Amino acid sequence: MAESLAYLGVGFQNAFAPVNFLMVVLGLAIGILAGVLPGITMLNSIVLVLPFTYLMGIVPALLLMIGIYCGGVFGGSITAILFNIPGDPMNVPTAWEGHPLNRQGRARYALGLAIMASAIGGLASALCLAFFAPPFARFALSFSTVEFFSVVVFGLASVSVLGHASATGALISLLAGMFLGTVGTEAQYGVERFTFGVPFLRTGVDFVTVLIGLFAIGEILDQLAGPSTQTAAVTKTRSVPRLPLLDLWPLRGSLIRGTAVGIAVGGLAGAGATVSSFVAYGLEKQVSRDPERFGKGHAGGLVAAESANNGSTGGAMIHLLTLGIPGSAATAVMMGVFLIHGIQPGPLLFTRQPEQVYTLFAGMILANVLMIGLGFLAAVVFAALMRVPASILNTLIVVFCFIGAFALRNDMADVWLTMLFGVLGFVMRRWDLPVPPMVMGIILGPMAEQYFLTSMVSHGNDLSVFVTRPVSAVALGLAAAAVAWAVWRSQRQPVGETAEVPNPTKGSPTPGAR
Amino acid sequence: MTRLAPALAPLAGLVLALGLLAATRGLDDLAREGQLGPGFWPRLVLVGLATVCALRVVVAWRGAWAHRVADPDAAPLARGRLAIAVGLILLYVIAVPVLGFPLATAGFIAAFMIVAGARQARGVAAAAVGGTIGLLYLFVRVVYLPLPKGAGPLEAVTLSLYRLLGIF
Repeated sequence: MAESLAYLGVGFQNAFAPVNFLMVVLGLAIGILAGVLPGITMLNSIVLVLPFTYLMGIVPALLLMIGIYCGGVFGGSITAILFNIPGDPMNVPTAWEGHPLNRQGRARYALGLAIMASAIGGLASALCLAFFAPPFARFALSFSTVEFFSVVVFGLASVSVLGHASATGALISLLAGMFLGTVGTEAQYGVERFTFGVPFLRTGVDFVTVLIGLFAIGEILDQLAGPSTQTAAVTKTRSVPRLPLLDLWPLRGSLIRGTAVGIAVGGLAGAGATVSSFVAYGLEKQVSRDPERFGKGHAGGLVAAESANNGSTGGAMIHLLTLGIPGSAATAVMMGVFLIHGIQPGPLLFTRQPEQVYTLFAGMILANVLMIGLGFLAAVVFAALMRVPASILNTLIVVFCFIGAFALRNDMADVWLTMLFGVLGFVMRRWDLPVPPMVMGIILGPMAEQYFLTSMVSHGNDLSVFVTRPVSAVALGLAAAAVAWAVWRSQRQPVGETAEVPNPTKGSPTPGAR
Repeated sequence: MTRLAPALAPLAGLVLALGLLAATRGLDDLAREGQLGPGFWPRLVLVGLATVCALRVVVAWRGAWAHRVADPDAAPLARGRLAIAVGLILLYVIAVPVLGFPLATAGFIAAFMIVAGARQARGVAAAAVGGTIGLLYLFVRVVYLPLPKGAGPLEAVTLSLYRLLGIF
């Protein structure tokens, strides 16, 4: 604990360095903006600023990402409350309760609750990360490739379960991503796999091209294929939020439960903020004394969902920093930043670069504190920015995607791949194939292969080693249980009813409209 | 057709997975005695992919997914606008190395904005010119990204533009 506090002190000194502080503020502003603007998700914005980080040092680059991450998770709640348009799927429960509060003339109250719940949830999560990540990292150091393989498999399996109505759709997406991860020159034997004589495929499919294409271009095409996209629906509002510190006290139970769920669910590899907010909202409904008020402006539901959203950020970072396994698509991009700067996240990060790690923790704490002020300003200002025509936004996003892909290797082949993955992303959305599992597959697939083959070489091709080592056995057991639960859920789901997370771009997310 | 439509995508996935599975032949030729070769992992993944696709084809054929694709409440697909948007994006990628980034981008921004619903000519022109200049300053002058300058005489046009804007 004393060691953690000492390092955290150094981390705060670094985080308050002008450039680093500026990156946190800039990241928060970009994240909140991305969360507010239609068609741009927090993940899109992280991907879009990726080219800017190439020339930065690792610490400012990651602080920028962390700022976007924390701000982006919160940002969508503003439009969810004011306009019933969640910026991200994770903000849907916020729209369910926040917008009815707005219609009751309590927009200031709802916005204030969302800002404070997000900040407190994120702060608690960051503190947990700062004090509990080191013991977790020490525990993780005792892992061999056997345990790492099993943990990666658990991460991959949980992707197929959480947040997706169709288990087979998620599995197809996941396996397709894992296949894409095998394209290129194989590391052990130097054999080319699935390159078909195309030179640029020898170095493999860069996951950034897949990310940009699937998420950004695919989303734009999906929007263009729908009804008119000229402007987002805007409700005129003059509501200025207030910070309801006293109003939050009666809701402390919801806040604590939401934060705890956020940290715990965020800590599951492959889960993330969307799952956290839905689980917290569902739990709140279960324990509430007045569940009949849910969907009609229940402040407890709003607080639980918002605190869980931001509470998940620290949990998701634990996997990335201690095991080198991204717990969500956003942290997968952050892992890309580490790799671009030649640093491999994982247990050794805490012994080799502790100051950098604790600077990130300090940055995360700082980001959540600063979010109160910036979130307050954003709620006032962004109502006006909602009037920016989608036609301008979408066009500039395509150009940014072009630049982001080209900047990878100054090669037009990456641009072509990005655009092709964009079309694939659109097709996947239309055919009920979730996009995130493919991204997880292309990132985690090569890791799983490497761990599996190394384990087989070390243990003479004895597969039983995966079930005779306790941690491995537990991880594989959980993975099997996750897949079994997904299949069971799919079987129970009646035809004509989907449990899928509502898409904020397609129709009203209010419970009554579902 | 409503029964067939949901089965088409997984069927294509199944055929692709089986085709790629055939392409894994020969990958293990260099494998050392008693060790798994470089073809093992992709083969495992492709078998899994083919199996799940086959399962989904069967379920789709039985009609369980028909409601997902043929949702009567779903908004109609704007096929024309979608086709033009995809065409414009592909044309943009083709045009950049030929025309150079500034000219191709200005043209793309104007065209794509119109497809995306913009109707005011002045706004479109301002966004096309202003957006392109802003991007050039940001990425060429500040980030030093060597964006494509175009082929033949158009490269000279791009360089002249850079000089005019004070980027070079």
